[in-house]
Amino acid sequence: MSVAQPAKRPLGERLQSLPKFWIYSILLVLTTIPLFVTVSVPNEPQEPAIDLYASLMQLPEGGRVLIASDWTGSTRGESGGEFDAIIRILMRKKIKFAIYSTADPQAPLVARDSIARLNDERRKAGLAPYERFTDWVSVGYFPNSEGATNGIANDIRSVFGGRKDFPPGRPPTDIFQSPVLQGVRSVSDFPMLIVITASKTSNFTVERVYGKTPLAFAVTGVMGPETQVFYQSKQIVGFAGGLKGVYDLETMMEHGINNPGPDGKIVVPSSKYGQIPGFPGMPNKGKGTLYYPTLHVALALLILTVIIGNVGMFLSKRANQR
Amino acid sequence: MNYDFLRLTVGVLATVGLYSVLYRENKFYRFFEHIFLGLASGWTLVALWTESLKSNWWDKMVGTAAEGTNAAANGNWAYILLLPIGLMGYFVFSKKHNWMSRIPIGIILGLWSGQQIQVWWNTYGPQINASMKPIFPTTFSSFTVPATPEAGAVYPSQAITNFLFVLTVLSVLSYFLFSFDVKNRAIRNTSILGRYLLMIGFGAIFGSTVMMRFTLLIDRMYFIWIEWFQTWILRR
Repeated sequence: MSVAQPAKRPLGERLQSLPKFWIYSILLVLTTIPLFVTVSVPNEPQEPAIDLYASLMQLPEGGRVLIASDWTGSTRGESGGEFDAIIRILMRKKIKFAIYSTADPQAPLVARDSIARLNDERRKAGLAPYERFTDWVSVGYFPNSEGATNGIANDIRSVFGGRKDFPPGRPPTDIFQSPVLQGVRSVSDFPMLIVITASKTSNFTVERVYGKTPLAFAVTGVMGPETQVFYQSKQIVGFAGGLKGVYDLETMMEHGINNPGPDGKIVVPSSKYGQIPGFPGMPNKGKGTLYYPTLHVALALLILTVIIGNVGMFLSKRANQR
Repeated sequence: MNYDFLRLTVGVLATVGLYSVLYRENKFYRFFEHIFLGLASGWTLVALWTESLKSNWWDKMVGTAAEGTNAAANGNWAYILLLPIGLMGYFVFSKKHNWMSRIPIGIILGLWSGQQIQVWWNTYGPQINASMKPIFPTTFSSFTVPATPEAGAVYPSQAITNFLFVLTVLSVLSYFLFSFDVKNRAIRNTSILGRYLLMIGFGAIFGSTVMMRFTLLIDRMYFIWIEWFQTWILRR
């Protein structure tokens, strides 16, 4: 007795229901292979990132900045790259920094671990490490981001008062004894507040601190469009958005702005600024340079699957019309 | 066993466990999800005390002894008054006394509301100001902005960009202002244009979101294949 074969589904229907397991498997393979090969993707840094880099480079050498580090392991791919790039620039310009967090209790630890890793990198390059308490200070975590940011904007000494950090070989010491915070009376005593965030803390910072000191942001890709509004209205001096922002910063760290290379070619031109140097020969390549080619491969797969799905839908519609 | 290797291996297992939900719901995923939630809650509880309550409240209330270069600080017992106000918040769970929870909530709401005028102006004032852009060019010496532009001049390319910006602002505003049935054809068409421009905006946001999610996946792959596999397994 013959068994009836199940009717084969039409092509259009099959194209619209590709097996999820295989799509994810292909995605995992495609996002893995490019990590093992070095591919250089051409880059033209965007204006907000150029402004961010220029603002950082125009800070007086040996000065100080305040940093809000509001990211954790969950956005390491983007925020981690931004944090590394910004801290590398500050360290190379010998700018002291105080770091606080208001978004997540884990954020201070993540920031401290990243600084320890960057210090290892400096040691390997034969440079003096950035010493905790002397060159940078960890202020810690503050719950209630909106309230804490308001306090920092209006009375930073009161909000930071009583906080202690760990100088090497000494007991926990009041952070206001640190050279980083010497003479700080208000948030305006910092020539810049840099917010590296994966959450709404950037909005709170604009709401509460705008007008008191220049603001610069490093945000995740999903926050890019809303941050563009703050940039457009000059509420922030510049920003790096997502992986593209990281790659932009790394490109400028390597080539500078309006800075001719050995072949006389300017890689990052800008009509807004004069010549701003980069840091050629130093470890500038981070997550941006590493991940950007891989992102292109992943996006190509996404576009391909969107096209396949649409072709499937078109074929199904045409079949139904017959 | 090397501690770093152990730490990274647990991280790899957790990453694989959490991503396994993409295939289907399973116990391996549930296990790591609960570990993650437990760790986050425990961490937050400890951090609330060590990073916030101790320095901002307890030390200020009881004072601190001199240590190293830190001078002794006198305590201020007035800080004890914050405790009952804070505890009142927990009466929200009591049917009989939940009115007490409204006192701290009222204080917080009052403080918050009082600040909103300044907050609103800080957020939107500069944005409204920046929306007033010149849409007519003042010079035709160059179509695009030259390397050394004339001070205060509006070049044709800038005027076009500004016009598109102003058009977008007005049409999107008209979409929200005239969401009811409008008879006037010009306003209706402007609202429709606003809707399409909003769609373009949402598309851009969606694109950024997709790129972000991919970046997070790429970082996890880097963690597994480079930081763990290449560094610890291949070199062993």
